[in-house]
Amino acid sequence: MSSITEYRSGGMGWRWAGRIFLVFLLGFTIMPMAWMLITSLKTGFAAMQYPPQWWPTEPTLDNYWRLLDPSGSVGQDFLRYFWNSMWVSVVTTVLAVAVAVPAAYAFSRFRFPGRTFLFFAVLLRNMFPAVVFLVPLFILMRVLGLVNTHGSLILTYLTFGLPLAIWLLKGFYDNIPIQLEQAARIDGATRFQAFFLIVMPLSTPGIIATSIYSFIGAWNEYIYAYTFLTRHDQMTLPVGIQRFFSENATDWPGLMAATFLMSIPVVVLFLVLQRYFVRALTEGAVKH
Amino acid sequence: MAQVVLKDVVKNYGPVYAVNRVSLTVEDGEFVALVGPSGCGKTTTLNLVAGLISMSGGAVTIGDRDVTNLDPKDRDIAMVFQNYALYPQKSVYKNLAFPLQMRKLPKEEIDKKVRDAAKTLDITHLLERKPRELSGGQQQRVALGRALVREPRVFLMDEPLSNLDAKLRVQMRSEIKRFHQDLGATIIYVTHDQLEAVTMSDKMAVMNGGFLQQYDSPANVFANPINMFVASFVGSPAMSLVPLTAVSKGTQVVLTSPEGWEMPLSDANGRKALSATSNKVVLGGRHSTIKVHKVQVPGAVPGKVYTVEPTGDVTFAQVFVSGATVNVSVPPGFALRPDEPVFLEFDQDRMHLFDGETEMALRL
Repeated sequence: MSSITEYRSGGMGWRWAGRIFLVFLLGFTIMPMAWMLITSLKTGFAAMQYPPQWWPTEPTLDNYWRLLDPSGSVGQDFLRYFWNSMWVSVVTTVLAVAVAVPAAYAFSRFRFPGRTFLFFAVLLRNMFPAVVFLVPLFILMRVLGLVNTHGSLILTYLTFGLPLAIWLLKGFYDNIPIQLEQAARIDGATRFQAFFLIVMPLSTPGIIATSIYSFIGAWNEYIYAYTFLTRHDQMTLPVGIQRFFSENATDWPGLMAATFLMSIPVVVLFLVLQRYFVRALTEGAVKH
Repeated sequence: MAQVVLKDVVKNYGPVYAVNRVSLTVEDGEFVALVGPSGCGKTTTLNLVAGLISMSGGAVTIGDRDVTNLDPKDRDIAMVFQNYALYPQKSVYKNLAFPLQMRKLPKEEIDKKVRDAAKTLDITHLLERKPRELSGGQQQRVALGRALVREPRVFLMDEPLSNLDAKLRVQMRSEIKRFHQDLGATIIYVTHDQLEAVTMSDKMAVMNGGFLQQYDSPANVFANPINMFVASFVGSPAMSLVPLTAVSKGTQVVLTSPEGWEMPLSDANGRKALSATSNKVVLGGRHSTIKVHKVQVPGAVPGKVYTVEPTGDVTFAQVFVSGATVNVSVPPGFALRPDEPVFLEFDQDRMHLFDGETEMALRL
């Protein structure tokens, strides 16, 4: 095994070069996050000091307590934004998956007139930058009376999320041999049962990947949330945390603590579900 | 077990006919092989019997039931797929139990049937494994087990042996044959390998271009191929076909080649040759009915050796005769060299004559 690796990477010199490059890349990715975490542990004064403190002399969790304290005004707002973001993202994800699973299956398995056209039409939406749709969608939401509701965001996020979810899942269904369904149908399952009992469980990694994708998309989205929502109690986190900029001076430690808390759900999602990404999909199902 | 009847079965995709007016009857307990080159419609025919694709026309009856419009699950059939199609997320036990669970059998009965089937196929020790942990041969057995656990009326098999290596294929071939004999099962078996069809089946249905060409016992198909396609498809090496011209010379009929040689025909063969729609007649002969001479003998035709393939107890050779390739066999001691001129004597009683226009066998 190791000899193969050595052979492929072309000797020791290249191997070390590769490793150094990886370490550099890792530092490049981790540095901002580390700085975010360190800053969030500083007092407002320590955060502004020059030269900067690489590690705060008096690390404090005050910034976190402030954000998570439901009795304080900052905490109240933050927790409200957090809840709003969670609600919008979860509903978007559930709807995206609920619609994308049957749609992707249909695109993968059925031959119907206009199939290719429809499939590319689905993707067309993602070929334009988000701002192009900002004004039209805002007008649409106003007509529908959805401005300042979470419904406007959920609908908008679905217009991005769904096409990608369908595209992604179709790839998964394409890889599941049709014979598995045929076998199930001969074994006594209806078409629906064959899908639910055999095909769906096999596409679990795909469904999870798709869910994470649409969750993160909704969780991080800024521009539509900024445009569609003006009421404070409706705001989602990316818009809401702007308030740390708004006072006389920027509250860097507070902002960093909020950012850190905001990234926790995404990190947890990845850690919990990562094994589904690596699991071999239909290994052993068929002989190729 | 049950009889299966296909009546004028048609499947077309727009102007393309995958299966064209195929009618055949599989008797109760019979092993029928659907055989033909790829794209001939054999798998489509099987899928139509299974109900996996909808028919464009015709009818299928299993036992006394018209199943033409029934779902696969209501046809009481079992199928073994080329890629086995084992459920990868389920253990072998659960794979075998699935068809029974779908039919809502009580748990104890399922357990008993699964263990019985596992015992029959000698896979009891594999019951807790996942399909990916099995070898190809073991997966094949599990696939067979899943088919037989339910005691269906008909077994459908779609090239079940093509993914196995040569040695295992021969072994599984006899096991499936044995399985057919022990169960008295009605089996429809799709294969592109004519040898599999010949060795395993009671009857073989040779298909080409969506049409059923011939449906008969392997011995009859071998001895009396109905047309040039069947003649060249069944048998190994294939029957050799030489296009010639039939000419009457007084009371005798001879076949002539563009090179000018003549081959006199027996009375019976002469009458066959004259019944062709034109004077174009194709001579067919299997290697075992052609004698190879190094010198001219009466009735033999000249040819030139192209390749020589010794196999041990018999040596095969290809000989060019009037632009066509003729497969012959000689005993191992009979020395043949490439490019050597030889003379081939066709057995008048066992030669085949085909109509050069319609490609159909000429019969009296």
